[in-house]
Amino acid sequence: MTVAIVLLTLFGSAWLLAVIEGWTVTGRLQPAAPLLSGLAHLGRESIVPRSPDRVFFEAAPVLLLVVAVLGAAVLPLAPDLVIADLGTGALFINAALAYVLVALIMAGWGPNGAYAMIGGWRFLGQLIAYSMLIVMPITAVAMRAESLVNTAIVGSQADLWNIVYQPLGFVLFYIAAMALAFRSPFDLPTAEGELAGGVDAEYTGVRLAVLRLARLTLVVTLAAATTVFYLGGWHGPLLPPWAWSLIKTLAVAVSMLLAGGYLPRIREADLMRWCWTLGIPLALLNIVIVGLLILVVP
Amino acid sequence: MGAQAFFLAVFGLAAIGFGVAVFRTSSMVRSALALLFSQTAVGCMFLVMQTEFLGVLQIMMMATEMSIMAIFMVMFMMDPGGLGGMDMTHQKRFSIGAGVVAAGAAIAVALLADWGPVTVQAPAAAMQTRELGHELLGRSMLIFETAGVTILTAMIAATAVAIPVQRLADNGDKEVSE
Amino acid sequence: MTAVLIVALLTGAILFGIGVYGALSQTNLVMIMMGVELMLAGAMVNLVAFWRFLHPESYSGQMFVLVVMTVMAVEMAVGFGVAIARFRAIGSVEMEEAEDLKG
Repeated sequence: MTVAIVLLTLFGSAWLLAVIEGWTVTGRLQPAAPLLSGLAHLGRESIVPRSPDRVFFEAAPVLLLVVAVLGAAVLPLAPDLVIADLGTGALFINAALAYVLVALIMAGWGPNGAYAMIGGWRFLGQLIAYSMLIVMPITAVAMRAESLVNTAIVGSQADLWNIVYQPLGFVLFYIAAMALAFRSPFDLPTAEGELAGGVDAEYTGVRLAVLRLARLTLVVTLAAATTVFYLGGWHGPLLPPWAWSLIKTLAVAVSMLLAGGYLPRIREADLMRWCWTLGIPLALLNIVIVGLLILVVP
Repeated sequence: MGAQAFFLAVFGLAAIGFGVAVFRTSSMVRSALALLFSQTAVGCMFLVMQTEFLGVLQIMMMATEMSIMAIFMVMFMMDPGGLGGMDMTHQKRFSIGAGVVAAGAAIAVALLADWGPVTVQAPAAAMQTRELGHELLGRSMLIFETAGVTILTAMIAATAVAIPVQRLADNGDKEVSE
Repeated sequence: MTAVLIVALLTGAILFGIGVYGALSQTNLVMIMMGVELMLAGAMVNLVAFWRFLHPESYSGQMFVLVVMTVMAVEMAVGFGVAIARFRAIGSVEMEEAEDLKG
């Protein structure tokens, strides 16, 4: 029952995100558009490139979707509405999201095409940049909660949200989450104008529908993770807990979507340089500051 | 107990199967990703054995490490796609013999030794993480610090070895050897 | 009861054997490193099985597994650094062409 509710919420949010994305792009609010375009993809011809690596080609979109759903499975919507409240929940999200890289490498190598391959290996460079920036803020969050359990992390924010307690960590996690979901300005693997779609390029038909759904679900999962870690999860005055979780998740997801529209795509070399020379020292500084705050402030 | 043994066997067979696939396939990226899924199966075995922290850590680290191995294979190997069908092995009989001897010795020890009473209950996951943290920063602090310094040394050493050598050319400008 | 322990130990032993075969039979440095990774994975399976089924009260077992994971990462990093340097010097990382490193 809990599983059904959480999955429904996840895919419903992905659908809402698709509607809003369509709204920002075309200016018209069309609620049925994502469902209709998904059905249209199912009806289109499913082209397989010449001599692909068949295993990778088929597995990549499915793996991306599985990763997004697994990541959402440990995130709580309400104190009792979580599929699997693991003892190491905060770390499990990171473990599941590491397989986004594996899925994109498969999607890059599988189709036996130049653009896809460049997109796939570019994401590896992006991972080198963002992976420390994802893990270190989670460490600081777990330090405050003194636990890796997600419900305990939300519980520790009952009186003060982490975005106020650790703003530096929030900024770093937000940027790294956008880089993980390869959302612009970090959409190097699927560079629209540059790589003719990159890893998306060779997929058509049902596989493209699954890939697009997986991308949207990944953004929702990351927005939910930001909510749980930094925005106090389900805490809020009037509405029931699950409503607050939903509102915050959607707000973060929409903001990730819109932020990309105004910024140019960042170059790979610049991304790595900024993340390693500026991002990692800031993340370490964040851990030190949070440690001092925990020890000094009662 | 029965369920645990069953899942352990399933993931164990998966790990062994993917491990065999690493050396049987001639496509380099398939080899690297087969190793990745073998390590993931090992991580799942850790989860079945109720060491949640170690299992999640193994799954997370191996995804990243093996993907980096994949790109290094594509960079350095002659035939990354594996369509050439070359046999890249040497001393085959000796190494098969060595592998069989090693596995056989370990299996013999596992089957013939008397392991004593087997504990049925394991501590809870949150408790394990807490105790591991206490162990890491308490009794094994020296090991922790040594590991930290070792990692730092390895990072500096790897970077120093991988940077291209800069030589002074005859006209005094630095040139980089490629 | 001990069947679970035996299953885990057998898996560790077979993984170790496959790793030994790989490390000895491959000519390429990266493939040799893959064999070493398999060997370390087999060792880790054994360590966790011993911790879980024989001594769950003493966390040195889990400590050892953390150290082995660290060793895997460190060995890969340094190994790839050496591979890059070698590739730059002679254009391949085949061990058969590495006679000049001997002695």
